[in-house]
This record gives sequence, structure tokens and C-alpha cells, in this order.
Amino acid sequence: MRYSDTLIDHFRNPRNSGMMRAPDGVGEGEYAQCMDLARFYLRVRDGRVEEARFQAYGCGPTLAACSAGTEVAAGTALEALAEIEDGRIEAALGGLPPERRHAAKVVALALRAAARDAMARRAVH
Amino acid sequence: MNRRVYLDHNASTPVHPEVLQAMLPYFSERFGNPSSVHGFGREARDGMETAREQIADFLKVSKDEIVFTSGGTESDNLGIKGLAAARGSGHIITSQIEHHAVLRTVQTLEEQGFTATYLPVDGDGMVNPDDVKKALRADTILVSLMGANSEVGTLQPIREIGRITREAAVPLHVDGVQTVGKVPIDMGAFGIDLLSFSGHKIYGPKGVAGLYIRKGTKMASIQHGGEHERRRRAGTENVAGIVGLGKAVEIRGRDMAVEGARLTALRDRLWEGVRAGVAEVRLNGHPTERLPGTCNVCFHDIESESIVLGLDLKGIGVSAGSACTSGNVEPSYVLEAKGLPLDWAMGSVRCSLGRGTTAEDIEYVIESVVPLVAKLKTLSPVAGAAPAVS
Ligand SMILES: Cc1ncc(COP(=O)(O)O)c(C=O)c1O
Repeated sequence: MRYSDTLIDHFRNPRNSGMMRAPDGVGEGEYAQCMDLARFYLRVRDGRVEEARFQAYGCGPTLAACSAGTEVAAGTALEALAEIEDGRIEAALGGLPPERRHAAKVVALALRAAARDAMARRAVH
Repeated sequence: MNRRVYLDHNASTPVHPEVLQAMLPYFSERFGNPSSVHGFGREARDGMETAREQIADFLKVSKDEIVFTSGGTESDNLGIKGLAAARGSGHIITSQIEHHAVLRTVQTLEEQGFTATYLPVDGDGMVNPDDVKKALRADTILVSLMGANSEVGTLQPIREIGRITREAAVPLHVDGVQTVGKVPIDMGAFGIDLLSFSGHKIYGPKGVAGLYIRKGTKMASIQHGGEHERRRRAGTENVAGIVGLGKAVEIRGRDMAVEGARLTALRDRLWEGVRAGVAEVRLNGHPTERLPGTCNVCFHDIESESIVLGLDLKGIGVSAGSACTSGNVEPSYVLEAKGLPLDWAMGSVRCSLGRGTTAEDIEYVIESVVPLVAKLKTLSPVAGAAPAVS
């Protein structure tokens, strides 16, 4: 399998990994066929993501996609993040081999869920 | 410059320099067709027959009992289908952990009206000889079991199984692709009627292999054409490859015992080092009845492919137990058959050592894998949960 330098860099040096205390939104994405699981925590200020952190179980590309996903999320408005597509994540990774597209899918899924969660919490407050 | 360590010898091995030297003349100077009657043909045929002798000597069988094929896969196909075709119908006994070359061949025969029993294995990956006995039926035409499993390395009790099949007068096929040249096989005492072996697992070339067929075993050809290989396998022989296979087998006869002891020590050191450095880890396969160079371990709550990639970036080549193909992950059917829970089976990594592996290599792998696993665990949202099985 050939991976982009960007993907390898994210895998080697994952950005923003680990839990977050008292997040403003949490979301998970699961890709059952692969048993991949991604979880994102969001810190939100004025409707925008200030910081995103992740935890993940999966193959190398999935871990790398999570790392890239936190960078994509940071600075993004919740409404936009709630609609984020796989392609954005894939692009941020410098591409994915066709057999590993699920990595972007599971991350986009989790980010959308986290954004929706943050929006729901905001509505309650 | 990163160190490079190849620990995937069960997948394939580098051609031994002596093997390469033996092969070279057969590409150019001795290029003749071994079926030709002239001197050019004779030279090629002589090379091929020397190889047959080298293999017969190693296995302590007769030269006429060796047929050359295009690979371990073809040897398995020829052994099983060839015997089945000669019988026409009947029941086949095999195991759940065979290589696909055997499993899918038996499944295909089932589609054609044969019946089959797939024996289970115990937690160490071993077939119980009593299960073979119980599975035997009046119409059983073949028992096909592997000598050693490629994934976990467990050696099957072929001697005991051979006693049972011999008593029942049922032919025994052994897929010895991972076994021949790695651990001793006593053809007579084991009662083996058909034995598959392959070049590229033992420092020979890829795409060349052999099948031992005990004299008197009724077989039909499955590939039709010329009169090659005493009409048991049509097609002009891969002469250079066969010469290489013969040389590779001869070298195994010389080096196998010493190398086996050395690899066993390295394999055990690898396991000890990993076990000492990683909290939740287990060894797959039989603790002692195992191929000398095979060390298959499971890491809990992390996924094998992420470990394979992490080690690849350190120049280390190992193989993942679970294979992710087109976004569908299949945990190893061998580990499933052993009864390993999924949260463990998903994190299996196979290290298979070989003649080039050094003690320094093993220390480097231990030094690399311990922090890698620790790092992957910190990323994991599932780590820390109580393991499904202690
Ligand atoms: C046990 C076993 N049988 C058969 C084969 C197939 O051999 P070949 O690669 O020569 O076709 C392999 C190879 O992985 C094997 O490990």
C-alpha cells in the first residue's frame, strides 16, 4: 500500500490526540465492516470550533485521518462542520488509496456527529 | 539511515546465493527443452533430474515419486483434485485452518458432489487426532492436513494422524509448504501419501514447487497435454526453477537443524522482549510445537494494520493477522478457529524469522514495537476497557 507523505506524517505525529475535559460536543463514527471507531471532542467558541481532539481505533490511515480531521475542524463553523464531507478529509490527507477510503468516511461521520452534538447542547443552553 | 529488518519469511524468502548460482546456467547455456532428445535437451533434463534426486534424498523417498509443479498452490490442487478425480466420489477430511489452496480446493470438490468435514482446532491451533478418527467414514477417500500453519506456526501431530489414516487405509495428503525444510519430516513413519512443498518458502525461487506421490497412489491428471512428469503433470518444466528448488532443498538438509535451533532462540527472545514491554499481549499458536521462526502475537485493543504501518516506517516488515480489503476487514480465520475473541484477533501481528535474521534485528524490533504499541494505545478509545477474555 502506498500512502501520501502527508498521511504518513499524520500517522507518525498525530495532532491533537487524546481526550478533552468538559468538551462542548462529542461525536463518534463507526465503520462496522472494518471495526474502525473514531471519536472527536470539540471546544466551541462563538459558533466555531476552537479546538478538536480525537481518539481512534483502526488502521494507520484511519488514525492519520483523525489527526487531519482535527486540523480541518479547527476554525470551522459548527453548521459547516455538521455538513462536512469525506472528500474534505481525504484532501487534507493528500489522498487515500481506494481500498482505504473508509478512513475519511469514518472521520467525516464522527466530525458531523460531534458538530450536531455541540449544536444540540447550545440549543438547550 | 533506517535499519531494514525482514520478518515475513512465511510469506516468502530471498533466494539463497548458492541457489541462484546453480540456476543461472539454465537460463542461457543449458536452455534446452528437457523433453528433447538431443544434447541440449539432455543437459536440461540432467539438471532437472539432479534436482529430483536432491529432493528424493532429502525426503528419503524414491525419485519417481516427485512431481514438479508451478507452486505450492498447484501442488495442493494436484494432490487433492488428482486423488479425488481418480476416486470419482467420496468424503474428504481437512481442517478449518488450512491454507486457501486446500480449503477452496475442497470447497470446489464439494460443489461437484464430494462431501467434506472441516475439523476444528484447539486453542493452540492443533487438530486432535481423535477427531480425525471420529470423522473417518466408509467413503472417506482422503485426509488433507497441513504440517505447519503459516499464520501461527503450530505443527500438527502428523505422526499420530498418519497412524490413524494408515490403519484405515485412507490416503493422507500433507500440505508441507511451511514444513518441508524447516522441521524434520519422516515420510515413512508419518505415513504420508502426498506431500506438497514449495520453493520460495525455503530460499528457492517463486513459482516452482513439488508434490510427492507415494508409489501406488491412484491419481488422475488435472492438467492435460504432453507426457511430462510421467504423465502426471503436463507442461514443459520450469527447468531453472526446478534446479533452484533442488538446490534449496539440498541446502535445507545441510542447514536446517542448526538454523532451527538458532531461530527458535531468537523467536523466544522476541516474545519475551515484547511480553516484558507490553501489558496486554498474547502469543498465538502452540508454545513449543511450533515452527522455529514463527512468532504470532496479539495486541489488545489496537488494530494490526496500524502496527504493521508503524513498523514499516521503521524499516521492519511483518504481516497483519487481520486483512483489510476494500474497507472490509476479515479477522484471520485461523485465529477465529482457535477461538480467539475479536478484540484480540484484530490486533494480531505475525513475525516470521529466517536465515538472515540476527539477534540485533530482534532487539531492534523489540525496541521499536514497545513504544509503538504504547503510542497506539494512547490513541485508542477502546483501550483500558476490561479485556473480553483474560
Ligand atoms: C501452508 C501453505 N500452503 C500453500 C501455500 C501456497 O504456496 P505457493 O505460494 O507456492 O503457491 C502457502 C503459501 O503461503 C502456504 O503457506
